[in-house]
This record gives sequence, structure tokens and C-alpha cells, in this order.
Amino acid sequence: MLPPYTPAYEPTSVDERGLWMQVDEIERQLRDSPLRVRDGNLEKYLLDVLCRVVGQDRCSGVRVYAIENPSFNASMMPNGAMQVQSGLLLRVRNEGELAAVLGHEFAHFELRHSLNGFKNRRATTDVMAWMTVLGGITNTPTGDTQLSLVGSIFQFNRDQETAADLLGLQYLAQSGYPAHSASEVWQSLMAEQDATARGRKLKAKQRYSAGFFDTHPTSLSRAAYLSEMADKLPAGGDPRTQELQVAVAPYLPRFLAAQNKLNDFGGTDYILSNLAARSGWTPELLFARGELYRARANPRDLQLASQFYREAKTAGYARPELDRNLGLALIRNGQVDEGRAALSAYLAAAPDASDAAIIKTLLPN
Amino acid sequence: MSRTAFAALALLAVVSSPCLANSLVGAGPQSGIAKSRMSATTAGEWNKLSLREGKNVEVWTLDGDALNKVTFFGGVPAGAPLLRERDKKNRPLPTVAANMLVTDIPTLLETTYRSQFAVNQMTIDTQVPALLDGHNGIRFTYSFTKADDEVRRKGEAVGAMINGQLYLVSYEAPVIYFFDKDIEKFRALAASIKL
Repeated sequence: MLPPYTPAYEPTSVDERGLWMQVDEIERQLRDSPLRVRDGNLEKYLLDVLCRVVGQDRCSGVRVYAIENPSFNASMMPNGAMQVQSGLLLRVRNEGELAAVLGHEFAHFELRHSLNGFKNRRATTDVMAWMTVLGGITNTPTGDTQLSLVGSIFQFNRDQETAADLLGLQYLAQSGYPAHSASEVWQSLMAEQDATARGRKLKAKQRYSAGFFDTHPTSLSRAAYLSEMADKLPAGGDPRTQELQVAVAPYLPRFLAAQNKLNDFGGTDYILSNLAARSGWTPELLFARGELYRARANPRDLQLASQFYREAKTAGYARPELDRNLGLALIRNGQVDEGRAALSAYLAAAPDASDAAIIKTLLPN
Repeated sequence: MSRTAFAALALLAVVSSPCLANSLVGAGPQSGIAKSRMSATTAGEWNKLSLREGKNVEVWTLDGDALNKVTFFGGVPAGAPLLRERDKKNRPLPTVAANMLVTDIPTLLETTYRSQFAVNQMTIDTQVPALLDGHNGIRFTYSFTKADDEVRRKGEAVGAMINGQLYLVSYEAPVIYFFDKDIEKFRALAASIKL
């Protein structure tokens, strides 16, 4: 059974009111951010998923902001604003997994984890102010540091993470999504991290126990205890794979293009295969795979890139940039005549493209 | 912040100021830009920043690099990234390849920015043929937003692959006011480049 819930909570203590004032300001920035995904119904869909997992009475006051950021993350602030990053939507394989993550973040909110230990974390802002001064003196860009420290203000400790995991699991069990969705998210994330490490020729390391300085339980132990708990709960029903796919489809080419440009061959290839497991190799996924291989550009990659572009075309990919990118891959691989034929096809289909003039320079006079 | 840390900070400020100084670039011919054979003729004054973003990189500005930033990449060799890698292990940057096509130059810049500066939104807007001191190359425009300040910026760059090395000069400024204010100064500067 779920614990009772108090809607429209107002901050009480001095510290808590201060924290709310800060997060209200952060929420205003989120709301007006150029990185927010405003087109279409994505934010509404995410809110619907949240409502489905935590229930109408809990979700009614929540605002969900979808933000274009290719890393795997979602977070919720103590005033009820939830941020969902586009990277999460590329990684979850069905609505059940998405719901598990959103439910977990909501559990932090319901358990008011942000306030506990807030005093300790206030020191972070002091460090931030000093970093800016230091950066000004040494002319070092501090922007990146600032971002990661802001992230750490809203990090929770390990016990809180575990508590949120368990409450999140209770939501899942109530909602009709499969109870094993939560552990599957972590398994899939570990597999991706291993794929990234392999792609970068690093040693993959998944640890069972968290180190002293880790704020989160390791993904491995999380997957294990979530799976163990889920065994004791009702199995749940439909993970609603199709619904997620339909909701994300309009944004997929844009999110994939961004992921492709992160210079993470192993991780991106894993994500693509994962998406293909969800929907089969669609024309968009084949095209994205071609882009990935063309970007790494070893001779074998260029060969495979051309193959994926051609498969995408056979599968029905209709936009003209396919011919352009196929042509560029072929030319770079030394197949100049074939490549030029593809570029000509691109120019015939898109004579007024913003890059038509530069593409023409790759053709014979 | 403890007293010791504060003292260390103050000491750093005093000790480090001479070697970190920015310098004035007067009007007239300038040679050895970005420690390369790149030279240019300036019509007015620029500031050369001590900011070292990479081995073959030099940054000039008029009002500060957040407001108008000219970056010279002087002959980045095959196998090297455009900028110094801040976290080589976890966020490696893409590298220049000797067989790159001209159209790969904007992609290389975009991929570098997305990894290095957490630029989550960037588009290459136009790409046209251009000459860099007589060498066939590309002129392209782009727009991007960095995650740290979320200011919308536009950029314009001219680049070419010469003997397997990348020569590139870019200009970036906020869309509001600054980009248009100084774009002509950049174009004149880029047109004066000799290799």
C-alpha cells in the first residue's frame, strides 16, 4: 500500500523557504530555456505517464519540462517541477521503464529528500561563488564546473536513493506496469556503459558495492535489489511499448542526430540496437546507424555506412539528405563515381538546399 | 571558505597575473598566428586572449570572448583534436583526418563543441565554397546554445584542408546585437589571411 500523500505542501522552516525560493528561480529558467522541447505533445505525454504511475491525486500539481540534453537523467525539485532529459527517452525501451524512472524521481519529491541535509549542501554554492572568482583571475572557463556543482546540490545520498527506489517500486506495483521495469532500466544502463568503455578501448567496470564517496548505490546492486523486490510484487501487465514509440517518434531523428555527435561510438551503437529491439530497424534507425559509422570513418566503417544508408532507402527513408550522406561516405571511401551519382541525385531532389553550392564542388565540372 | 584557502587564492592572483596577461593586437600585419604560418592584416585593434584552448589555437576578441570571439586554428594535424581535451578518457574529442572532405569540417566543429562545451543545440545553417588564401575550402554559418549560459549564438567560419592539415578561422557572437555588429570586421580579417 502507498503511504498517505499531502498535496499542495507549503514550505515551513526558514531553510526550506529559502530552498523553495531558489528552486522557483531555477524553474523559471527551465520554463524559458531555449533547450526546452516545446513542439508537439512531448511534455504532456510525460506528465500522462507520471500520472499513470503515481496516480492522479499525486501528479496533479506537477510541472514536467522536457529538455534537450543527450545524457541519461531526470530530476525533480522540491517545488514540484520535474525535468526530463531527451537522453532518457532514447534509452528506455518501453513506457514501463520510463514510468519507473519518473516514479523514482517523484519518490524523492514525496519523501522531501531535497531538504534533508540541505544545510550541508549550501556549502556547494559558496564553492561555486569562489570558483567564479578564481576562474576570473586565471581566465579559465568555469561554466562547465558550475553546471556539475549545480547538479550536486540536488544529489541525494545513498540511503535516500534506496528509499526512493523502494517507494518507486510501490508506485509501479500499483500502476499496472510490469514490476521488473525498474531493474531493467539499470541493467540496460550498465550494458550501455560497458559498450561505451569498449568503444573507447577502456576497461569496463561494473561494481557490486558503492565506494565511500559514491552518492548512488552502484547500478549493479540496484538492479539486483530492485529485481529481488519485484519478485515479491504482483507481476504487472502491459509495458506499453507501442505507446512510447508513437510518442517519441516525431523527435527521434533530432535526438538521434544529437546522440550521434557525442563521439561515443560504442554507447550510441548500443542505444541504436536497443531502439531497434523496441521497434525493429526502421528507416530512421538505419539512417542514424549510417551516420554513426560515417562519422567514425575507418575504411570498414565507410563501407558499412553506405550499406546502412542503402538499407534505409530500401526500407523507405525518403528525405534527400540520405543521398548526400551516402555520396559523401562513398567518396571518402574512394568510390568516387558512385558517390558523385548519389550527390547528383541529392542535388536533383534538393536544388535549393543550403549546402547545394558546396556539394557541387565535389562533382566534376 | 577557510582562511588558508583564501590566502592561497590571493597569492595565486598576485603570482599568476603577468604570465596570464592578454595582449593588444594593433592595426597592421600580424604573423605567426596560432603558432603557425598563418598571418593576417588587421584594420583596427583586437585583443589577443591568453586563453589557450589548444595547441594550434589562438583566440581574439573585441569586447570579451562571450560577446565576440575569433578563433584561429592554425594547421591542426591529422590525428589531433581541435581543442585541448579536458577529459580524454571519458569525453574524448573527434580528431582531424587527412582524407576529410570540406563538408566534414563543419561536422568536426559541431561534434567538438557538443562534447567539449555541453552544446546540446547546434545547427549548421549554410555551407558554400570559399577560398582561404587561394586554397579551396568552405565558408559555413551555424547557430548554437551552450548549456552553461543558454545564450543563443551564431557563428561564421572559413576553413580548408591544406596538405592534410586543417586551417580554420571562426567568429562567434550572441545573436542579439553582437553578431551583426562585428561580422564585417571578421570578414575583412578572414579575407586578409595569408598562409
